[in-house]
Amino acid sequence: MAQGEHFEPFRPMLRSGGARFSRDAAKRPILAFEEVYKSYRQGAPVLRGMSLTIERGEFAFITGSSGSGKSTLLRLLYCGETVDDGRILFLGRDVARLRHDAIPFLRRNLGIVFQDFKLVPSWTAYENVAIALEVLGLSRRLVRARVGEALERVGLGGRGEDLAGVFSGGEKQRIAIARAIVGEPALILADEPTGNLDPQLAIDMLGLFEEIHESGATVLFATHDRTLLEARSRRVVVLDEGKAIDVPQGIATDEYETHLPH
Amino acid sequence: MLSVSTTRRARRGMVREWRLHALSVFSLAVAFVCLGAALLVVTNLVALEERWAHSGRASVYLKDRATQHEVDALRAALARVPGVTGVRYVSSGDARVEFGRETEGRSELAGLPIEAFPASIEVDVAPGMPDRDLADAVVKIKQLPSVDDVETYQSWTERLARLVRGGVTASALLAIVVLAAVLAVVGSTMRLVLQRRRAEVEVLKLVGATDGFVKKPFVVEGGVQGALGALGALALLGLLFLVVRGPLDSELAALLGIEPSFLPWQVALGMVLLGGTLGAGAALASLRKLVAV
Repeated sequence: MAQGEHFEPFRPMLRSGGARFSRDAAKRPILAFEEVYKSYRQGAPVLRGMSLTIERGEFAFITGSSGSGKSTLLRLLYCGETVDDGRILFLGRDVARLRHDAIPFLRRNLGIVFQDFKLVPSWTAYENVAIALEVLGLSRRLVRARVGEALERVGLGGRGEDLAGVFSGGEKQRIAIARAIVGEPALILADEPTGNLDPQLAIDMLGLFEEIHESGATVLFATHDRTLLEARSRRVVVLDEGKAIDVPQGIATDEYETHLPH
Repeated sequence: MLSVSTTRRARRGMVREWRLHALSVFSLAVAFVCLGAALLVVTNLVALEERWAHSGRASVYLKDRATQHEVDALRAALARVPGVTGVRYVSSGDARVEFGRETEGRSELAGLPIEAFPASIEVDVAPGMPDRDLADAVVKIKQLPSVDDVETYQSWTERLARLVRGGVTASALLAIVVLAAVLAVVGSTMRLVLQRRRAEVEVLKLVGATDGFVKKPFVVEGGVQGALGALGALALLGLLFLVVRGPLDSELAALLGIEPSFLPWQVALGMVLLGGTLGAGAALASLRKLVAV
């Protein structure tokens, strides 16, 4: 940090009680992509002025064919990638303009679940979940209580001391979900979380995300699995040619058939 | 400040990668043994220099034909020299007996004939007496007909001082070598550890850990490695010192007037702290580029 420069961590404007709380911001959507551009190679942009709004407490699927930008969209949101142009407003703050030092504070407001789980196999299930609270500096007693609750919630109560490496794929994903929800984040990002699971497990996992959603969390669920999209009549955002096409009532209609992955 | 989480993660990391850490500690111990050995030599040279620099004495060797009258006159004259605190006559026989007592009859030199031990007047000089005054007195004493030679041990202490200076320079150079070794060993170990714990770092960053939170356990591991390396070196040196000291102790005491001593605890503690600091610093330097997520 340059001398004299003020370091400001990510502080949401929507959390009441804080000095930065803004009533106006609280009325705004939890997440808004405004004319976002992103390309990895010159002349081949993944997102071309994409705009998308997610309201608080929503559950939305993000879908599209391979390379359509589903993962890119999520990575931009948690600053795994940098935005070329446009704004991404999360909890009232533009995450595209965050300083490097502020990124950890942004991520503490997000729960992220990946297709490949991203667990540390040599840690226990408990340790994998607890780390999300340890970074916040919570007391061990509180961490123990909340991790126990989170593991119970995903159906792994009593298995906290087992090493993550010995769990099955579905169970590993449950640990990852427990880690994502244990900090009670404002937004859950799921990047193809059922990609490595069999169809029945995938439906079970979707049910778990829906339970989490019902408790008040906003969920963005990226998938290219049509069976999941067809199983629920929820909002679907289709990414096609770098833009977002909204299907508010799900894919019951075939209006967007040509854009959907097969 | 180190949190419980940091120390726990560092301990867990070291336990899980114990082979790698053990190898690193051994390499560091070898480097620190070189530094410790040099410091050990310097410590004993300094003690020797101090022993002889402050010996405060001179030996006036007499010619064989010096009469008792001349010896008495010389003793009286020497006693009157400012700065001289004591004068003692040692005959050839006394010198031989004294030598035999110091070597406990073990030295082959004990069999030398009595002529090999000239009579002398041992002069005790006040420690604060300036070297120039002593040198002036020596020049005058040497001119007396009954005096064969005068030994003030000054050239000996000057040689010792040069040796000490050389030892200090060698130690400083070795310290630089050790510094480079610590940076290389700890840096390589940390890069390897970081590679093996890539998943851990990635997870930490995804859940919102700051760079400091991620780095701290690695820095602690580097510091512990450095300190353990220095500690291991001290243990090894101590063992070698005990083994070597046994047979040489009395010989060195007889010949040089001092008993060899191990590194003072302050120096030993300093070495351990240096090891810890260098290890932590090297780890920190090698972690500049963390896994980008």
